[in-house]
Amino acid sequence: MGRDKSRRLYGSRHFRQRLVLATLTSTAVTIEDIRSGDASPGLRPYEVSLLRLLDKISDHHTIDLNETGTKLRYRPGVIIGGKGLEHDCGVHRGIGYFLEPLILLGLFSRAPISIRLKGITNDTKDPSVDTFRTTTLHMLKHFGVPLDGFDLNIDSRGSPPLGGGEVFLRVRNINSTLTAANWVDEGMVKRIRGVSFSTRVSPQLENRIIYAARGIFNRFIPDVHIHTDHRSGSAGGRSPGYGVSLVAETTTGCLLSVDVTVSYPSVDEINEESEKPELTSPEDLGVQAASMLLEEVAQGGVVDSTHQGLLFILCALCPPDVSKVRVGQLTPYGIETLRNIRDFLDVKFIIKPDPNSNTVTLKCVGAGVKNLARKIS
Amino acid sequence: LARTMSRRSDNLMQLVYGLPSTKLGSVAEENDDSEANSSDDEFFRPKGQKQQAKNESPSFGDIDGEDCSKFFKAELKDWSNEDLIKSIRDRFVTGNWSK
Repeated sequence: MGRDKSRRLYGSRHFRQRLVLATLTSTAVTIEDIRSGDASPGLRPYEVSLLRLLDKISDHHTIDLNETGTKLRYRPGVIIGGKGLEHDCGVHRGIGYFLEPLILLGLFSRAPISIRLKGITNDTKDPSVDTFRTTTLHMLKHFGVPLDGFDLNIDSRGSPPLGGGEVFLRVRNINSTLTAANWVDEGMVKRIRGVSFSTRVSPQLENRIIYAARGIFNRFIPDVHIHTDHRSGSAGGRSPGYGVSLVAETTTGCLLSVDVTVSYPSVDEINEESEKPELTSPEDLGVQAASMLLEEVAQGGVVDSTHQGLLFILCALCPPDVSKVRVGQLTPYGIETLRNIRDFLDVKFIIKPDPNSNTVTLKCVGAGVKNLARKIS
Repeated sequence: LARTMSRRSDNLMQLVYGLPSTKLGSVAEENDDSEANSSDDEFFRPKGQKQQAKNESPSFGDIDGEDCSKFFKAELKDWSNEDLIKSIRDRFVTGNWSK
């Protein structure tokens, strides 16, 4: 009985969060029935890739996978981090998929992590590297983590399906704990920034995206600057694609972001459809991105819907002190995150809807997770 | 999905964490549901297909749900609409703050 103390979980959902929370709380987990009812059972290539990444940055851990990949046993060890690491993220999910867990693990590692990640920099499912650089990293400031040790350089971009992008990430470890955040004032939007990118297509497409997006924003605010980042040759990866990432900055320093990407689907998906699909035009893409951003602004809250999960986890990891944050409508991912936090960290949030502004205020007392991996000199 | 749900329920705590007593029960109920669905339909069917049918409306019960932090909105509003512009005008510094 004492030997098999690991937490039993089922299914492949929230794979990343479960692994991250298991690692941070040093809980052994056994995940069963991973897509056992699916036509292609077991872990997906990107999940295996994530396990390999975890294997690279930690020590004294065990990862057991059964033959079909439907059962995983993971006993976390110490996150050691280190310099000069390299990881190929594959072409099944974007680099954003790997960045989200990496940043959390990096905070609680023995040494700062610097790692070179290869793969898809911008795709539709995961937050793009631009969003990560402009928004996600800045969230840490509110939890008492200075940003000087953090860095994300985009050396080359890669669009789906073939990728070929490369980014360099540095994450600093923290000394002992985060500090509790009282982060409820979202302020007013004072400016809008953004980056549009194109890989292996005409740079003119970027201007068309920006023109369309600006057309929407002009009704609201004049301070709109969207940069262009055209990549050609080897810096443009292996597939054509274009997209834009927008950030609304508020007077209180909150950042709301959206990103959109357009590229051709992978070859086998084309075969199924039997014809080459038409891509969204740059104009439509610009309007879409701008509308999504305005939607986020209308929602309220100190982070956008994409970052709710990370925000809640950061709150829960804080020392035993009250954290208070405000978000817009809870997203399904956010709700699932709250449940995972309850299961692993035993932290329950007090969730109060605010009818005036249609937002939700969440309060919690952190679990006081300390960086035990760090060497004390 | 979450939007409509949170509007309907007055108590978000219950929505997120479930009622303390029925926490385990709700999981069991979901399992019953899926079994009932499969027996209603054809007897022999690859399990994968059933999954695909379910994927059309991603639900909380799907234990193999996609791990994806981005939230997709089904439809976007037309933000050139004057009423909509007015509704979030005050979320910008350019809004009318003399009121």
